[in-house]
Amino acid sequence: MISMFDILAQVSHAPEASDSGVVSGITQTFHVEWVPFISQVVSFLVVAYLLKKFAFTPIQDMLEQRRSRIIEGEEKLKVIEKQLAESEASTAAAIAKANDEALRLITEAKESAAIFSEQKSQEAIASAQQILAKAEAAAQAERAAIKAELKNEFGRLVAATTSQVTGKVLTAEDQSRINEDALAKVEG
Amino acid sequence: MRFIFTTSAIWLLGLVSAFAEEGGHDHLPPHAEDILRVGPFVLTNSMLMIWIVAAAIIFVAQMATKKLELIPSGLQNFVEWMTESLYDFLEGILGPHLVKRTFWFFGSIFILILFTNWFGLIPGVGTVGWERHGDLHDSFRPFLRGGNADLNMTAAMAFTFALLWFYWAITENGLKGFFMHIFAPKGKFSGGMAIVMLIVFGFVGLLEVVSILFRPVALSFRLYGNVFAGENILENMPKVVGEHTWLAWLPPVPFYFLELLVGLIQALVFTLLTSVFLKLICDHGDEHHEEDGHSH
Repeated sequence: MISMFDILAQVSHAPEASDSGVVSGITQTFHVEWVPFISQVVSFLVVAYLLKKFAFTPIQDMLEQRRSRIIEGEEKLKVIEKQLAESEASTAAAIAKANDEALRLITEAKESAAIFSEQKSQEAIASAQQILAKAEAAAQAERAAIKAELKNEFGRLVAATTSQVTGKVLTAEDQSRINEDALAKVEG
Repeated sequence: MRFIFTTSAIWLLGLVSAFAEEGGHDHLPPHAEDILRVGPFVLTNSMLMIWIVAAAIIFVAQMATKKLELIPSGLQNFVEWMTESLYDFLEGILGPHLVKRTFWFFGSIFILILFTNWFGLIPGVGTVGWERHGDLHDSFRPFLRGGNADLNMTAAMAFTFALLWFYWAITENGLKGFFMHIFAPKGKFSGGMAIVMLIVFGFVGLLEVVSILFRPVALSFRLYGNVFAGENILENMPKVVGEHTWLAWLPPVPFYFLELLVGLIQALVFTLLTSVFLKLICDHGDEHHEEDGHSH
């Protein structure tokens, strides 16, 4: 009824025979013979080769490709991070340099502005003093001219008045002496 | 919803299996049966099963790798997860150097055994075939048989591993290192103790050689025995309630779940044992390689 019992029954008879009888009993029961065995070996090797070539190799290649991509990506990420750090450092350095430069320019501008302002102030003062001196000179000259003119006019009026009062024709010497007396009294 | 669908499918499997029984063997033979002979080679129904499973695996792998996406999804994601998990699992046992060399073999072994075991549970395997004419004890011959329910198949895998084991062990250790690994005393001894240890480890080495020689036999019978026993259970369970009663589909159903588990466990056991056998002999080899790597 159950084949396993048949097998056990067949094998259990074996110890009665010799060792070779046991082996031949087993090989006969399970049909372990050279031809099917070699056929199965060949079949298994072909199957293993086909599985290697068409199943495992493409899958492993795919996994290897992904693994290398991940490694490559990580390396790229490291490079990018390094470049970013370098870029940040160079940017910070450039900003610091620009700041220094700007500060220097501002200081220089302030200094030059102060110098310029001082120079211009001095120039303005000098110019103003010059104008003032010129104005004073002009005023003095004008005053002297007016003074001379006034003297002449005063002398003429004194001489005319004296001539009319005395009824005498005055000489040039008289006129000069009267003018000097009158002027001395006015200025005195 | 998915649970209901899965459960229904499993119950249906039992039902179909139970009804298919009527046209099948009067008992499950312990060996695979020939369906074609090409010259010196035979094509057995278990071999045909292996080829179908291999074709299915290759088809799925090709489909998964047809349109590769940077962010995987669906089938690509599943296939990648499975391969990567298996690779990491084997790397944990064998180490990064050995796993690179041997993954094709251990990966093939695991995937092939696992899916062959599970494909063997599909109704029609072992029950769809043809009737042979003549005065035969069992005239029915199925087209397909569970791939690992054939001792020739399990022996083919085990003995292929045995040969590869020698090749990998010698190439990793060198011929001298290989024999030293088996026979040489472990540790430093001097004087009389060294002679005693030489004898002790020589004897241990002989036991190790016997163990090495028996490994493929044990591997073959373990896998074959578990799978063949499972198929027998599934075939004979309907007889518990009577083969021709309407409830005949019921008894095998829990055993389908069990066989799904057994299929996975046996694939794991075979892969785990073979990889551990290799790691044990190549253990020093890896250290040498690491040392070499450091020295360079």
